[in-house]
Amino acid sequence: MFHIDYKKIRMIKENIFLIVVGALTLLATLPLFHIVFSIVSKGLSTVMESGLPFITETFSNGGIGPAIVGTLILTITATAIGVPLAFLAGAYAYEFPNSFIGKSTKILLQIMLEFPTILVGTFIAGIVVFPMGSYSLLAGALALAMILMPYVAVYTEEAMAEIPKIYKEGGYALGCTRAQVIFKVITKMAKKGILTGLLIGIAKVSGETAPLLYTAGGLYESYPNSLFEPVGSLPLLIYSLVQSPSPEDHKMAWGAALVMVIIFLGIFIPIRYSLKKDIKI
Amino acid sequence: MDFKKILRKLDEFKIITMPTIFVVFLLFAAVLVFYFTSAYPAIEKYGIDLFTTNVWKATEDATKEVYGLAAPIWGSIYTSVIAVILAIPIAIGYAIYVNDYAPEKLKYPLIIISDIMAGLPTVIYGIWGAFILVPFLRDNIMMFLYENFSYIPFFSTPPITGYGYLSAGVLLAIMVIPFASAIIREAYAMVPKVHKEGLYALGTTRYEATKVIVSYIKPAILSGFILAFGRALGETVAVSLVIGNSFNISYSLFSPGYTISSLIANQFGNAELYAYMVPTMYAGGLVLFVVGLIVNLIGLYYLRRWRSNVSH
Repeated sequence: MFHIDYKKIRMIKENIFLIVVGALTLLATLPLFHIVFSIVSKGLSTVMESGLPFITETFSNGGIGPAIVGTLILTITATAIGVPLAFLAGAYAYEFPNSFIGKSTKILLQIMLEFPTILVGTFIAGIVVFPMGSYSLLAGALALAMILMPYVAVYTEEAMAEIPKIYKEGGYALGCTRAQVIFKVITKMAKKGILTGLLIGIAKVSGETAPLLYTAGGLYESYPNSLFEPVGSLPLLIYSLVQSPSPEDHKMAWGAALVMVIIFLGIFIPIRYSLKKDIKI
Repeated sequence: MDFKKILRKLDEFKIITMPTIFVVFLLFAAVLVFYFTSAYPAIEKYGIDLFTTNVWKATEDATKEVYGLAAPIWGSIYTSVIAVILAIPIAIGYAIYVNDYAPEKLKYPLIIISDIMAGLPTVIYGIWGAFILVPFLRDNIMMFLYENFSYIPFFSTPPITGYGYLSAGVLLAIMVIPFASAIIREAYAMVPKVHKEGLYALGTTRYEATKVIVSYIKPAILSGFILAFGRALGETVAVSLVIGNSFNISYSLFSPGYTISSLIANQFGNAELYAYMVPTMYAGGLVLFVVGLIVNLIGLYYLRRWRSNVSH
């Protein structure tokens, strides 16, 4: 008699637990669906109203063209500055995991990874913007590069560390130098992991707002054409439009947010799906 | 002789990578030195009062300027604490569901959803938070709590606009849940299969087995939330759109406040007009940097120790 009762209680507990855990999961994922839903429902009308000019025209003509181009240029420049640095630093941290410099490099990179992005912005503002006297594309790109760098470096190091040691030994046995082994053997084998880190880093950096606030400045009435002049960016534009009191600006903000989400998901989902096999469960 | 030895030690690889390592170290040192020297004038002028008082008097006359960062410091910590408290049950439940209960077909989509949420630009959370989440919280939750429980100090402020600590905390929680749950999920997957098999062999239900495994990965869960706290501290854009931006120190969840990062985001632009405001901003940044550094180092240390314990 008692035995059966205990079993029942345990089964009820099990079912309650399943319901609770399922509900919590729903609660955790619900915001994403609601965010995408509300951005599409509010942004679509704005984009449809203006049609193609929305992504090509300047702001006073009802478009966000300069912001899109600005984001693109900023991201490319930041990648060009940050990635070579990141790759070499990551390779060093991989090759010398036990030396003092190697260890501290890895720790520093990890600390920089968690560095509040607004502080990167104010740092670059202090050393680039104040001396130069104006916001500039260069300052914005440097700030983004400083955020991208530790990201890519840590991914590079992790991707390389996953390659079995035996390939390295094989390389040395063939008489390769250290540089040849790392850059020709290990890098090629870890290509996929490094590229993933790079792309995820770029996707992340292209959506950053805080580091650009006081470095890039913002430019929405004309297309950027100089490294030393202010430049606009999509997230920056959304941020300032949300703060404005006018409902017209809010509509533009939703439209810009829709464009941004489409770009982000367009980059992010294919990368993530291509890595399906690598997800550990 | 010595020179030759050094030359032999310096192979191609080191010659190529050393300059970048130098840049990394230099950059880090430059950030530290820059923040200390830029913050120094304010620290020298106001002393410890800069961090313990809540005043904000900006005037053209440099001798009459007084700043105290107590309100933003309080706001940063308070909102992050709210976020972590809200995130704990949801992130743990989510990690358990994905690992143990989710049918195969749901697993990958769920993981990809949380990865998207972790990477989604923060300004997207910001626009959604400011226009959708805040009115929703105000009309459905804050109003109810205020009308029925306003004798509890946490709910004592009438939620007029809805912008405040609670809104910021909820938005931050939504943003850090995927981050925390990824760490927990990974730890959960690292638990050796033998443990689970042993538990099932003892005749446990899945709930009982999960209970044991969760207590096994407790250190990883803890470090996940410490790291999530660190991330919430530094969050800028989304928070500054929903926190209300006013100098205020209050327990009340519905009253507007400030965080260090939202203060910088709002005021840094016109801080140049005043003699001591820029140093004050940098002092705030320094606080954020130091607190974040300590929190992250503790979190990373625990996580690493736990990982090496498991793999051995």
